[in-house]
Amino acid sequence: MAQPPLLSVRNLCVRFDTPRGIVEAVRGIDFDVGRERLGIVGESGSGKSVTGRATLRLLPASATVTADRLALGDLDLLGADAAALRSVRGRRVSMIMQDPKFSLNPVMTVGRQIAEAYRMHHRVGRSEARRRALDMLADVRIRDPEHVYDLYPHEVSGGMGQRVMIAMMLIPEPDLLIADEPTSALDVTVSMQVLAILDDLVTRRGMGLLFISHDLNLVASFCDRVLVMYGGQIMETLPASALHQATHPYTRGLLAALPTIDTAGRDLPVLTRDPAWLATRR
Amino acid sequence: MISVRHLDVSFGNVRAVSDVSFTVAAGDIFGLVGESGCGKSTLLRVLSGLNPHWTGSIEIAGRAIGPMRDKAFYRQVQMVFQDPFGSLHPRHTVDRTLAEPIAIHGLDNAEARIARALDDVGLGPRFRFRYPHQLSGGQRQRVAIARALILEPSILLLDEPTSALDVSIQAEVLNLLARLRTARDLTLILVSHNLAVVAHLCNRLAVMQGGAIVEEMTVDALRHGEPSHPYSRELLRASLGYHRAAGTS
Repeated sequence: MAQPPLLSVRNLCVRFDTPRGIVEAVRGIDFDVGRERLGIVGESGSGKSVTGRATLRLLPASATVTADRLALGDLDLLGADAAALRSVRGRRVSMIMQDPKFSLNPVMTVGRQIAEAYRMHHRVGRSEARRRALDMLADVRIRDPEHVYDLYPHEVSGGMGQRVMIAMMLIPEPDLLIADEPTSALDVTVSMQVLAILDDLVTRRGMGLLFISHDLNLVASFCDRVLVMYGGQIMETLPASALHQATHPYTRGLLAALPTIDTAGRDLPVLTRDPAWLATRR
Repeated sequence: MISVRHLDVSFGNVRAVSDVSFTVAAGDIFGLVGESGCGKSTLLRVLSGLNPHWTGSIEIAGRAIGPMRDKAFYRQVQMVFQDPFGSLHPRHTVDRTLAEPIAIHGLDNAEARIARALDDVGLGPRFRFRYPHQLSGGQRQRVAIARALILEPSILLLDEPTSALDVSIQAEVLNLLARLRTARDLTLILVSHNLAVVAHLCNRLAVMQGGAIVEEMTVDALRHGEPSHPYSRELLRASLGYHRAAGTS
């Protein structure tokens, strides 16, 4: 990569202090995100979501985050105080969560939430913020922005709710967008539309995108590069177009376990986990 | 084995299922695919007797059945639900969960039946006295399958049985279902939003949209030719991953 990365992570570790002892969710991972679509795939418990949240320092107090380097451009995220982090969240890095139902404020119209996100980071008046929010709603292909602006979250469908979230997250014009399973609560046809919107906006604005998903086919077809995580570690990094030619046994096992039309009538190969995958720590 | 004619289900003014007809032969694995709200789960709940408010006619094994079902019906038809975290009683051990259907139906030999059911789903005796919270998602779904099979039904209704599971666990559960179907000569109806899962396990499928069946075909036909209905084509394309054209249409 010619440009310096937007986000640079070296030896990131996340531990949770639980009543049953310490759980190591992320164990020493390295990666950079540039102005590209980087996918993180893995099964539940692989540490992919924790990695996304650790980047924004959005983990609960029971988590300990350590890293040799966790930097957004030239800002050290680990050393940053609460005020510095507040100016980063939303403005420079924002995050789209899985389910819009639980991530939007239920007692505020969606338009006001988007306008608020804009005013948080830009010194503008109400009417200017409203105009911006309406433009943004149109950008995420909502047909009648004026009407949708005044709706409450329970009045919009899942797909529209996710588009509202994307609008809210993109209106402060961040450099990096973290999307944690942004489409897994949506129906397939709706999720294709949401992905196309994300795709357009990322390409047009030259943002970086960290796309967290458990769906290998989706990541292979949507992203530029893919990290495969297992047990809190990165098993391999490869170009998304080469995911189906992956060499690591874990990635191969996951791909083989996917049912398709062509596997009908046969048993699916079951993944056998090899402890040696986790033993090769630096 | 199962024959449904002109089935209608309404919730207030919403028509969840409208004029649906299909038949499933003995030994078939029939898939119902569609997105949320298309009526596929409602249809399954009608078949299983969980929703008594419907009109039309349903025949199972040549016998017409009404909204209320008797015990004999449940010996013949059992159901596995989507979420293994919600469908098992959190304060009942696996043993108690499996003993309940046996007690309700007054069957003998409870001991041997429970041991065999656990064996059949690949769990073994050491899981017998555990609580659901001590099991992983895949293990819980196996318990749910064991509970459904313990009455030795001939029809198993599956409502998204793997969509809460990781792909590697999903593969194990799909293999288990395929094996049990052959071993016990079951007739299965599988409801799923995932066309790949349905195409893998089933031999015939119906695509539902807006409460109606828009297309019915064999999996062979799906593999060899394009489905004819545009909505089925869209589902098929979406099952292969992100596609620019699919998103902009």
